[in-house]
Amino acid sequence: MSWIKVCKTTDVPENSLKKIWVAGGIPVLIAHYNGGYRAMPPVCPHMEEPLEESGVIAGCVLTCTKHLWAWDLATLELQGETERPLKSYDVKVDGDDLMAFIEQELLYEFEDEDDMDDDDFFKS
Amino acid sequence: MSIIFQTKSGELPIDAQNDSETVLFDGLGSGLTLPYECATGTCGTCRARVMSGDVFDVWPDAPGAQRLKRDRGDILMCQTRARGNCVIRVPALVTQAEEGAPRRFIGRIDELSKLTSDVIQFDVVLNEKATFSAGQFMVINAPGVSGGRAYSMVNYEQQTGRLTFLIKRKPGGVFSDWLFKSAGKDAEISLFGPLGKAIFQPEADGDLICITGGSGIAGIMSILEHAIRAKHFPGYSGQLYFGARTLADTFYVDKLAALTEMSSGGLKVTLALSHEAAPSSTHPASELIRLDEGFVHEVAARVLSENSVGLGENAVGFVAGPPPMVDAAIRVLLGQGKLPPDRIRYDKFS
Repeated sequence: MSWIKVCKTTDVPENSLKKIWVAGGIPVLIAHYNGGYRAMPPVCPHMEEPLEESGVIAGCVLTCTKHLWAWDLATLELQGETERPLKSYDVKVDGDDLMAFIEQELLYEFEDEDDMDDDDFFKS
Repeated sequence: MSIIFQTKSGELPIDAQNDSETVLFDGLGSGLTLPYECATGTCGTCRARVMSGDVFDVWPDAPGAQRLKRDRGDILMCQTRARGNCVIRVPALVTQAEEGAPRRFIGRIDELSKLTSDVIQFDVVLNEKATFSAGQFMVINAPGVSGGRAYSMVNYEQQTGRLTFLIKRKPGGVFSDWLFKSAGKDAEISLFGPLGKAIFQPEADGDLICITGGSGIAGIMSILEHAIRAKHFPGYSGQLYFGARTLADTFYVDKLAALTEMSSGGLKVTLALSHEAAPSSTHPASELIRLDEGFVHEVAARVLSENSVGLGENAVGFVAGPPPMVDAAIRVLLGQGKLPPDRIRYDKFS
């Protein structure tokens, strides 16, 4: 895959989030923040909360209201006590269309992130 | 017996008396800063792994246990007791606190008073004095009621032998039924605490904005009381939005009016009625308390949007109430309040 049309830019008003299924059955969450767009997997990397419902955009910051993990959407910088980065697809605006570069679905590893399994638990 | 906590800060052994306390309370009571939020089985924050030893689970169906990998020995520390020596792995940095470790108290119920048709305030006289921060809670165990319930302190004192709590009667609520029906004055209960990190820090905190509904007002009362005593107002502003269904469901109007009066104009209190028109712009019992119509988060959003003066740099938002209200209030604080997420404090009970 490559650049895929996700939606019209007007489909996602500023300060809002919208989950869209793109070709190939991949769910993509589009965030329209002050200054641009982000395309990302539709769940919070913390506890898999559906960000379309739990997420709030204020200025450049996306916050999951469930446990207040937050990221700056312009820089992807982690805010406050947030412990994991957001994964995101490259996006570009082509006329009225919003395009995302999707080679394969980005997923968070919720099962295998368990660092209690690590032999070097104490060295981290 | 000994419990060894394997943490990211190294091995931390403690002595535990017997199996009457959970592993979480054993560790916290020894001053270890083990991770937790609700301490009552709902949130899953105190997830850990039993590496060796004999333990038992006091509430296998706890909502917070749903994501545990049981086959690998994962547990909720707040629902697990040790029968003998054991080793528990905790995926967090843990330190030894110098002071202020929570502990077990025995209390006697005193002064039960009905504030509305479904809200009771009760005092508990402790067997020894407790020190706590405004906004903290205790986990209370009642005779014949399995499991602990978390209740925030309403009052604030540096050190006190008397704690005030609020409880809202819920349909089928075992603890509230016990309190409303069979508990009387002098009933004995057991308490563990103080717990909770959604606290007021007068040295670091600026303007305060509190959004709450029902018995969620408990911890907020303690925070406002501390703010008044610390002379936080009027140097900083305070806003309280307190939601109720109808005027008959409002309570603490006299206390809130007194706090407002002592704030020298710094504190503004608005009661939001969700299921009834407001009969006037101020409460019939006090002109210092404003009345408004709508859900409490809607009223707060409206005032914040109309207010040309925003919240100051170190402003803090406190939220307490039923989960849907907490979620809506957080959205208002982030959106209309323009608060950064790390300046919002609430107990993550769900």
